[in-house]
Amino acid sequence: MAPTACFNCKEARAVIIRPKNRHKLCRACFLEVFETEVHETIIGTNLFYPGERVAIGASGGKDSTVLAAVLKTLNERYRYGLDLCLLSIDEGIRGYRDDSLETVKRNAVQYDMPLEILGYGELYGWTMDQVVAQIGKKGNCTYCGVFRRQALDRGAAKLGIKHVVTGHNADDVAETVMMNLLRADLPRLSRGTSIVTESGASDIKRSKPLKYAYEKEIVLYAHHRQLDYFSTECIYSPEAFRGSARTLIKDLEKIRPSSILDIVKSGEDMAALVPREVNQSGKKCGSTAAAEDDVGGCGSQNGRTSGGEMAAMEKELAENESAESRETEIRLPKGPPSSVHLQKTVKKQTLGHCERCGYLSSQRICKACNLLDGLNRNRPKTAIEVSVGLEDEEISSTLMRQMERTELTNS
Amino acid sequence: MPAKELVRPCLDCKDAEAVLDTRKRQYCGNCFQRFAAHKVLLRMSKYKQLKKETGQTPKLLLPLSLGVSSSVLLHIINGDIERQLANTFVNLGFELTILVIDPSTILTPDAKYNQAYEAVTKAFPKLTFNRLPFHSVFEYVSDMKEIVQEYAGSSFTDDESLSNEDRLTTFRASISTATSKADLDSVLLTRLVVGYAKSLGCGTVVWGDSDTRLAAKTLAGVAKGRGASLTWSVSDGMSPWGVAFDFPLRDLSKPELEQFKGVCEELSGIVVPDEPISDNVLTKNLSIDELMMRYVRTQGEKYRGVMANVSRTANKLESTTGSDDVLCPLCGGHVGNVKGNSGVTVANQSSDNYSSKFCYGCMRSRPGANC
Repeated sequence: MAPTACFNCKEARAVIIRPKNRHKLCRACFLEVFETEVHETIIGTNLFYPGERVAIGASGGKDSTVLAAVLKTLNERYRYGLDLCLLSIDEGIRGYRDDSLETVKRNAVQYDMPLEILGYGELYGWTMDQVVAQIGKKGNCTYCGVFRRQALDRGAAKLGIKHVVTGHNADDVAETVMMNLLRADLPRLSRGTSIVTESGASDIKRSKPLKYAYEKEIVLYAHHRQLDYFSTECIYSPEAFRGSARTLIKDLEKIRPSSILDIVKSGEDMAALVPREVNQSGKKCGSTAAAEDDVGGCGSQNGRTSGGEMAAMEKELAENESAESRETEIRLPKGPPSSVHLQKTVKKQTLGHCERCGYLSSQRICKACNLLDGLNRNRPKTAIEVSVGLEDEEISSTLMRQMERTELTNS
Repeated sequence: MPAKELVRPCLDCKDAEAVLDTRKRQYCGNCFQRFAAHKVLLRMSKYKQLKKETGQTPKLLLPLSLGVSSSVLLHIINGDIERQLANTFVNLGFELTILVIDPSTILTPDAKYNQAYEAVTKAFPKLTFNRLPFHSVFEYVSDMKEIVQEYAGSSFTDDESLSNEDRLTTFRASISTATSKADLDSVLLTRLVVGYAKSLGCGTVVWGDSDTRLAAKTLAGVAKGRGASLTWSVSDGMSPWGVAFDFPLRDLSKPELEQFKGVCEELSGIVVPDEPISDNVLTKNLSIDELMMRYVRTQGEKYRGVMANVSRTANKLESTTGSDDVLCPLCGGHVGNVKGNSGVTVANQSSDNYSSKFCYGCMRSRPGANC
């Protein structure tokens, strides 16, 4: 079979079928098209201003590596005048982070960008490995997600930077749209798709320039530019709503490759259709909300979802439904229209600072500090003093063991 | 009198053997029918209220596919009408017309559809039935021929000497993928139903979509880039053509409607069973609508509430259509972005000069579209 010519330049030999629209392209044209599309996204949404200092949230994975490479290329080609640097978070997961951080360090040299690494250990006193040892493999993504969000902001603040870009791609955004539909989360449906998650109160802006780029094309781009990236999934990732949404999206992509982008488009439109009273509560409560709804936290799973979430929600819904038949609905007599208005007011969250760490929070104590509280309470003061200050439960189990031993000696 | 010896009594009447289980309760056939009918009639009761307020009897159109869901809906509404007619002072909340778009003109022709139509008109003698072929969309939507021709572009040449039937067949044959075919068929069906409703002066179309189907339609709509149309395609509310859409079956799932059919003798012989989707079909050969229906049904076995929540969530979205919004001449969806959406997905396909006229979702299903 004769080699197919590139769809774009009609000269070179096509080596790539674009996952997005099945165009056959040569290597040079593909790289060019990919970069141009990211450029159009940046220009179309006025993402940066000249002279802006921007931190790239770098994990060493394909998305952030491609993001760094593309931004560096575009910054030089189109003279954005950006001052770019890399910002990495070390969650302290052995075997996952050690190697990927080495990749980030090499990237910093390759792209000639300054690099800042912040560890959970130094920020919170707990590495993820220690958290998992404490609470087990279920639900640890919550900790990781909450900690990472603050860590990126704190890292940026430390560097005096007000804009953090992350490598979330179109697949991530599409997954989030589907996931929020499945779990009936309207406030997040209204925020999750926007390219910039900015809050009125926090001075740090988050954006995702690769929002319209397909995951498959990111892999192709990384491959054809021979970028140095580290490919592995988080070893602690569980299966949940996002998992269900992900499977669905993979099937959709097989049927109609454009559907990932189509979901993003639907998601953007629906965000504008979410009723204002739902929407407002999200916008008013500022950075915590904006920061919390980041998509695809750890590159494989979103922070908040734990294994049994879908089943738990199902249980709750079923219980609500069975309770409904036992309830008697009491309706207020129809009053003047003002009473209708009253019903619609949603409790607004006001933004303040965490009493402990000073991080922006709508609560008295921020979520990270809350989680830390829980962790620290159960942490033994020293490893040897196990029997000191045990909780009731543990005492009883110690007692049990002692009794078992007595029984054994008796027999 | 000694109490009846029941192995598994119905939890409602406690007087008959339970024949089915749903929502963690066991029912006998009659009690289950009453339970389902109550859910539907509660939603239909608003028309009586409307009649009281406006002094006019609302005119409703019920499109009947002869499948399970719409037949059950018809049965329930008919039961209510008959009860009302038995009263001394008849006060019907609405006027109802039934439209059957001949399935033989949509799917492959089959005598079973004729039989079912005969049976249904006999079973409900007090109701008004009408049957139209699919291609009458060209009659009831006046500029449809021009719209279709412009929409299809160069890959389809309309031959004016042909009959409406042949023109529709050629147009449908020019669409290559299963997804686009199913998508455009449902667009055209909606247009025909609305066009007919308008010709009769009906203010509302009462759709027979189960909650399962609504969830699947929601997810499929999102996946096809039609998220902005959810405010009327799966929500109760005003459609872009000034006819309201209502979905009174939204509290019942498809398996429950099948259970209903199972315990309702009058419906046997009327309902044409759905073509089962073969498990052997490769995922990539399914249409997005089929994939979603399959997804919602399989997930619904384990997570019924979660799936039901999908359509409830979509029903909460609020339409923002203003007078200055440009609507797609084919499907009635928003052209470009909804107000307040600053995304640039639309700009990505600006090289295509058609996109200025038709909406994003329709552009994806266009014959020869690259997607």
